[in-house]
Amino acid sequence: MQGSGNLDLGARLVLAFGAGIAIYLILVPLGMLLFAAFRGPPDFLPFEPGAKWTLENFRAVYSEGALYSRILPDTLIFVVGTVTLTFIVAFALAWLIERTDLPGREIWFAIILFPLLVPIPVLAIAWIFLMGPNAGWLNLALRWATGIEGPGPINIFSMPGLILCQSLASVSYVFILLTAALRTMNPALEEASGASGAAPLTTFRRITLPVLLPGLLAPLILITLITAEQFELPLMIGLPARIIVFSYRIFFELNPAGGLPNYGGAAAISLPFIAFGVLLLLLYNRTIRRAESFVTVTGKAYRQRRLALGPWRIPALIFVIVYLSLAAIVPAIVLLWTSFFGYTLPTSATAADFSVEPYRQLFANPSFWTGLKNTALVAGVSAALVTFIGAILGWIISRSEIRGRRLLDFLSVMSVGIPAVIVALAVMMLYLSVPIGVYGTVWILILAYSYRFATTTRLARAGFMQIHKELEEASAISGARWLTTQLRVMLPLIMPALASGFVLLFIVGVREFTLPLVLYSQENVVLSVLLWQLFQNGQPAPSAALGSIIIAVVLPVILITRRILRAQSVE
Amino acid sequence: MLTVTGLTKSFASPEGPLKVVDDVSFVVSEAQCHALLGPSGCGKTTTLRCIAGLEQADAGSIEIGGQTVSDPARGIFVPVHERSIGMVFQSYAIWPHFDVFVNVAYPLQVQRPRLRTGEIEARVMEVLKLVGMDAMARRPATRLSGGQQQRVALARAIVRNPALLLLDEPLSNLDARLRDTMRKELSDLIARIGITALLVTHDQAEAFSMAHRLALMNHGRIVQEGTPREIYARPLSAFVAKFIGAANVVKGTVHARDGAMAKVLVNGSGQEIAVATDLAAGTPVEIVLRPEKLSLQAAPAPGSIEGRVASVTFQGSNIEYAIDIGGTVLRVTAPADQDIAVGATARVRIDAANATVFRAEG
Repeated sequence: MQGSGNLDLGARLVLAFGAGIAIYLILVPLGMLLFAAFRGPPDFLPFEPGAKWTLENFRAVYSEGALYSRILPDTLIFVVGTVTLTFIVAFALAWLIERTDLPGREIWFAIILFPLLVPIPVLAIAWIFLMGPNAGWLNLALRWATGIEGPGPINIFSMPGLILCQSLASVSYVFILLTAALRTMNPALEEASGASGAAPLTTFRRITLPVLLPGLLAPLILITLITAEQFELPLMIGLPARIIVFSYRIFFELNPAGGLPNYGGAAAISLPFIAFGVLLLLLYNRTIRRAESFVTVTGKAYRQRRLALGPWRIPALIFVIVYLSLAAIVPAIVLLWTSFFGYTLPTSATAADFSVEPYRQLFANPSFWTGLKNTALVAGVSAALVTFIGAILGWIISRSEIRGRRLLDFLSVMSVGIPAVIVALAVMMLYLSVPIGVYGTVWILILAYSYRFATTTRLARAGFMQIHKELEEASAISGARWLTTQLRVMLPLIMPALASGFVLLFIVGVREFTLPLVLYSQENVVLSVLLWQLFQNGQPAPSAALGSIIIAVVLPVILITRRILRAQSVE
Repeated sequence: MLTVTGLTKSFASPEGPLKVVDDVSFVVSEAQCHALLGPSGCGKTTTLRCIAGLEQADAGSIEIGGQTVSDPARGIFVPVHERSIGMVFQSYAIWPHFDVFVNVAYPLQVQRPRLRTGEIEARVMEVLKLVGMDAMARRPATRLSGGQQQRVALARAIVRNPALLLLDEPLSNLDARLRDTMRKELSDLIARIGITALLVTHDQAEAFSMAHRLALMNHGRIVQEGTPREIYARPLSAFVAKFIGAANVVKGTVHARDGAMAKVLVNGSGQEIAVATDLAAGTPVEIVLRPEKLSLQAAPAPGSIEGRVASVTFQGSNIEYAIDIGGTVLRVTAPADQDIAVGATARVRIDAANATVFRAEG
């Protein structure tokens, strides 16, 4: 361990630069938000001439009856429903794939990743094509099979519809966390119970469940937080059903139906939301620490004994296939079909209905090319920036004794607890107030995207911890300065971890929808926003064409992601 | 008492079924410690897991304390939790969510009919005292050192007085210094409580010091069984000789026979070693020579071969010389007062009675 005292000048400059950038990207927008909540009048930016200190924002927002009669109950039902459904499905999938002899496990694992890689609007329009009350494929099929009259019987634009879609979208993430938890359990713990005379059911109740519990609880806490932050599906599926959740309420203050943006109100409503997020994250950290203490007793990644499913194999397979059909396979098919045939159904389509016109329209649209370029630029640059800064943070946290490193650790972990819609609001107010000309350009998107440090910091930190400190000391003793040591010795060793972090962040960047929507301008449009706009403007076929193109690009990425996840589980 | 007869077990592999345990039979008498010794992948752990009931054997029978627990031919398979066994796992498998006391009490807690709490507590404390962990009964399992985990694992394995104690590489997770101490403790404890024990290990020193009898396994079969002394003194194959001792192996060919004696031409050197063997002339052979049974001589003498001193290692009470004989390096242990320089010519005296000859394998 090194205190800041014995670091050379190069080290101090690099570390200070990294820490400074991280603090700027996270804390300055949040500070702006804090100010805005206490400044009025509400449509004034916090430092605009004429703005004054006030509590009026809080009074206005929290005295509104709808907040208690509709928004809070809706949010609660949405979160509880989604978390329950997501967790049950994800746990069943993870258990079947990690602990039983279910056939086709490798293939299912790869397909389960699909919803995690595709932007939410792509999935949302596919589900609307599939489960829309009037012309949804599933509804048409059900009406044909049962003879009942439309619309319906399924209505995606409802609370159950919203919960179903959000769960289908969220299962993949929880699934990955749960498979990791299941893998770190030493099978000898269960065997030792058997050898102690405990029957299988006793073993499951007294050993398997309690040992896994922290590993299961941690994903449960995280998915609760993530669900509460969701904005995309509540906008696309919830809003038409007049369901308004917390995150949408914030967005609404910025885009009121006829009126000026209410900065003060949006900020006032955001603050308790952030406090809630930080609270859940602290709880999450405690749980993770307990889970890790359980793992370190025995070691890492184990080959698990698989339960023979026997006659249960068929229902288990049906369960997996139904989930994958709804979450991945059918949406992909529906999009591809719609992109060539529009609303004409497969049952009535003829060769004459086939048309590449939607693709021609899409390619003729200059926004498509701008969006493509912007998406690659914003996702790439922000992922590189966050990876670089995250590596520096990881070094400070794991290798140094610099004062304030715990604060940096906390900041980096906390970054996942801030909803995208709030970050968008804070960044918007910041760059409207600071006239450096980034507002409305792709640069504001890059600055806004680059706040999620948790993933790379964690990966870099784990990477550094695996590298023995003596490797660094041996380089110093050979006469290398700090920076030379980092570049020649540490960087090559930690590269695989950083590369994984970059790929994951790049995918997150390509999927991002909330930030670019709130910060939207003609100039900085990205593909996820363009897709939603096309769909909203009554151009289903070109939006389906764009969705199909995105899916075609994502499919090979599934294989890369699968490799990264496998490499991590071996570590 | 443990009786294993004709035990056979195969695993599926991409190249078809792989026989990992092949017709293994042995008996462990009451209150004896028996070791299964062999290199990794020899089938010793699978044998142990079949006896525990963690794997199902394909054929053969297993009898623990007079009860047949596995015999596929008669359709018998007693599940692991109904066998009267205790087991110490290689990773110790200490349950992280319990403290020391509950880890050890668990086998009694799951017993049916239920035991009284007072009874359980008395027995657990008795066993914890036996392994020297009674002062740490309430320590969480996540805060135990390797040696402490090993003691808790042992206490848990013997707490319900099983008919058979199974030990799967119980010392391999400890560092070298601690391993010697724990080996002695474990050995004493097994003798003191008089339990029948089966030890699986790849470490011959462990097997020799802890077991009354041992079976050496290779490629799923038992290649030799006996007391440690018997096996050390009379290995039945070059594999056994090489595995159990740090022995020299010299390759050569039988080229002149004389009654019960023969001369073996050492490969690459043109020199001969006289040995007792009945193998025919022209047979390729391996001669096993123990370093402590060889000696160095100043002048040429009958029954000695010549080589160059390649290295000298001072070991305190004695010196180990490496003598290069035409490409074959012989290690010779000599008294520390003998002093020969590196590069000098040395003569190694080989007594025919101490040279064991085997037909070359492969």
